Amino acid sequence: MTSYLTFRILKGAFVVVLISLLTFIVMRVMPGDPVYLLLGDGQIPITDAQIAAIRAKWGLDRPLPEQYLVWGSNLLRGDFGTSLIRPGVPVRHMIFEAIPVTATLNFYAILLAIVVAIPFGIAAAVRRNSIVDYSSNVVSALGIATPNFWLALMLIVVFALYLRWLPPFGLRTWHGYILPVIVIATEEMAVLMRITRGAVLELLPQDFVRTARSKGLSERGVLYRHVVSNTMLPIITVIGFRIAFILSGTIIVETVFALPGIGRLFVDSVLRLDYQVVQSLVVVFAVLVVVVNLLTDMIYALVDPRIRIS
Amino acid sequence: MTNPTSARVLLRPLVRSHLTRILTAAIVAVAFAVGSLATAQGTEGGTLVWLGHQEVAGLGPNDIGPDVQAAVIFNILNPLVHVNHLTETELVLARSYDVAEDGLTYTFELHEGVLFHDGSELTADDVKYTFEFYAQPGNTVASRFNGMREVEVVDRYTVRVHMDTVNASFLRRAAEVPIVPAAYHAEVGDDGFRTAPIGTGAFRLDDWRPAQFTELVAFPEHFRGAPLVDRLRLEVVPEASVRYIALLTGDAHGTVWPLSVEDSLELDEDPDFRMVATNWNSPRFIPLNNDVPQLSDARVRQAMLHAIDRQRIIDDLEMGLGVVATSHLAPHNSFYNPDVPLYPYDPERARALLDEAGWTPGPDGIRVKDGQRLSFTATTISGDQQRRPMAELSQIFLREVGVDMQLAEAPVASILQGLREGTLEASLFNWTHGDTTDPSPTSTLYSTGGDNFTRYRNEEMDRLIDQGVALVDPEARRPIYDRTQELYAQDVPALYLHYPQGLLVFSNDMGGLPDEILSSTPLFFRAHEYSVRD
Repeated sequence: MTSYLTFRILKGAFVVVLISLLTFIVMRVMPGDPVYLLLGDGQIPITDAQIAAIRAKWGLDRPLPEQYLVWGSNLLRGDFGTSLIRPGVPVRHMIFEAIPVTATLNFYAILLAIVVAIPFGIAAAVRRNSIVDYSSNVVSALGIATPNFWLALMLIVVFALYLRWLPPFGLRTWHGYILPVIVIATEEMAVLMRITRGAVLELLPQDFVRTARSKGLSERGVLYRHVVSNTMLPIITVIGFRIAFILSGTIIVETVFALPGIGRLFVDSVLRLDYQVVQSLVVVFAVLVVVVNLLTDMIYALVDPRIRIS
Repeated sequence: MTNPTSARVLLRPLVRSHLTRILTAAIVAVAFAVGSLATAQGTEGGTLVWLGHQEVAGLGPNDIGPDVQAAVIFNILNPLVHVNHLTETELVLARSYDVAEDGLTYTFELHEGVLFHDGSELTADDVKYTFEFYAQPGNTVASRFNGMREVEVVDRYTVRVHMDTVNASFLRRAAEVPIVPAAYHAEVGDDGFRTAPIGTGAFRLDDWRPAQFTELVAFPEHFRGAPLVDRLRLEVVPEASVRYIALLTGDAHGTVWPLSVEDSLELDEDPDFRMVATNWNSPRFIPLNNDVPQLSDARVRQAMLHAIDRQRIIDDLEMGLGVVATSHLAPHNSFYNPDVPLYPYDPERARALLDEAGWTPGPDGIRVKDGQRLSFTATTISGDQQRRPMAELSQIFLREVGVDMQLAEAPVASILQGLREGTLEASLFNWTHGDTTDPSPTSTLYSTGGDNFTRYRNEEMDRLIDQGVALVDPEARRPIYDRTQELYAQDVPALYLHYPQGLLVFSNDMGGLPDEILSSTPLFFRAHEYSVRD
């Protein structure tokens, strides 16, 4: 167990270093220079000497390997550097300011999705071809197919503009979380509902279920004690996968609802070539993916005694 | 503060099909089911709220470039003078100014008793410190001070700037850099100042969350009198349609960054809102790399301008809002030369010019000369949904006369670098080539200019620009810029399409907006004059 964990952690660390190097290279290979963005539009004359002075101030004039090593060693000491575009502000501060927003959104969205999707998914499978099944099919198809951009705008139109119940944007109160959580949860819900339904349908005709029934267990007992516990593996896989890819799901939602989360910070930083922020964010996410994968594997062992970590 | 009359306009621009209506109705039904969440939303009394589209990255003089940042910064910090909404030079911290006839000395008299937010008094030393600090290379505003030799403190409230060379734009560019308190700035450094500024403005910084909002609180000791509202807040709302909804719900009173044209025109019809339309100084244009062999002949570029129906681009893609460009200055500019000939839409003339230049139609209709196809790539800004269709329409027009303009996309920073280094063939966006502050296209049309995206080289243009910036008398400058506009239209280094109109919308709950407005950005620099109706 200990050697397995050590191996996985070392492997994870190697992956993170590799990803950080690749991100560094990709960002520098991308044509463009953040200095030009700092200067802005206009016709104010700017000389090469002035541009060189700005580049020197940010260390952009040094050789690339040196820039990488400086950044990497600072990172190991917990220093993410300062943003190029938001001068004087530590990148760490920017990232840790944005993480709680995205984390809260996704926590409640996944919670809502689990609470709604798993019971519905089970019910749809048990009462196959019933009205419950058909409606769960329709709902999950709609949930996957509806663009979250459109859904977000429609919810704003209805709840903020028409009914005046909720704010159209921002996080001035906790009410600001309600609509974005619904939008993110809708897609999660749709996916989870399908997975749960599929998993239960696959289990119902299996021998152990028949055995449980023949032992005289009630339908309810069979379902809860034998079927549901066995559907947990695919569900945990999907949840782990969604957590690892949190970023892709929240960029649009954070933009529409004007929420200062990680997704928006990432896109804004890429577009503005804010090297320090992008590199640090990618490393943070690489660590997240590695940790979530490890946790998922360990939870497998917890919920399914047949799996042993060794 | 809610806006009860807005319900009638609410869904028109967003709900366009039956399907959408049915789905909306379904969502309304769900909404009623969770009715217990209902809460009244609205702004706090006495808080003026504006909406921007991108984060406020910094709050110091080096950050005044983007409009969204300037809208906040100029309410915290003040400059000596402003170019105001009527494009006039308006005195702010300066009580008066004097420009020597030879243009080599500027003298500013300061208002007495002006207090910074920390209680210290503004003096000539602060002006000297600010000018000398920000003129150093490495500052984004450094080039505004080009030509400055030294700043002399004449007395506590008088400062004199000595120039090495005449810089006609000094008054309206350098003197617009806001003044920082010398002692505090020296103590915290510029990076520290950008995150915690102290100024003489009518508001002081209260809460700054760059990607979310910036909130200022009134500074009652402000030298022009205490502001009418208690607070000023700039909210960052990237999505234009959400900014539109926020105006309708009363969550905001104005937008620093525009809504969609359709939504702006919609609100213009509503008595609760006022739309402010102003002409842009920067044309939408297709910069062409004049060093690329197939684009190096002026006749080819002239032909391309004849080939594009620019009025149709305005009519079809800008809802008719804009004017066809005649040269590098906009028609509302006081230096505009109305006698520069227009290139009317004339495909026949375009074909004749291309024939004359030796480009003959090839087998696929694209013209060829000495084995070279008349083909090039215009790289537009990634995700630029507003201007990309203009490139596409231009592409169709150019194809008609046998010119192949391919389209590609890249991030804006890549495009700017590519154009500056001459590695791109063409692009499409807006850029000023002289504006109402200063008509001189120094960095854009000068052969060695930093923003000479077209790699344009004309000795006469260089000479004229040198002469123009060395004169401070507008009337003496006029014939020079008449000629620069003629030259630009003759050489056509870029395909200048049109000058668009900027549309900003304000709620009538915000009082104090001037009646006449020629330039919209400076409207945001006078928040102390505005009131909010609850």
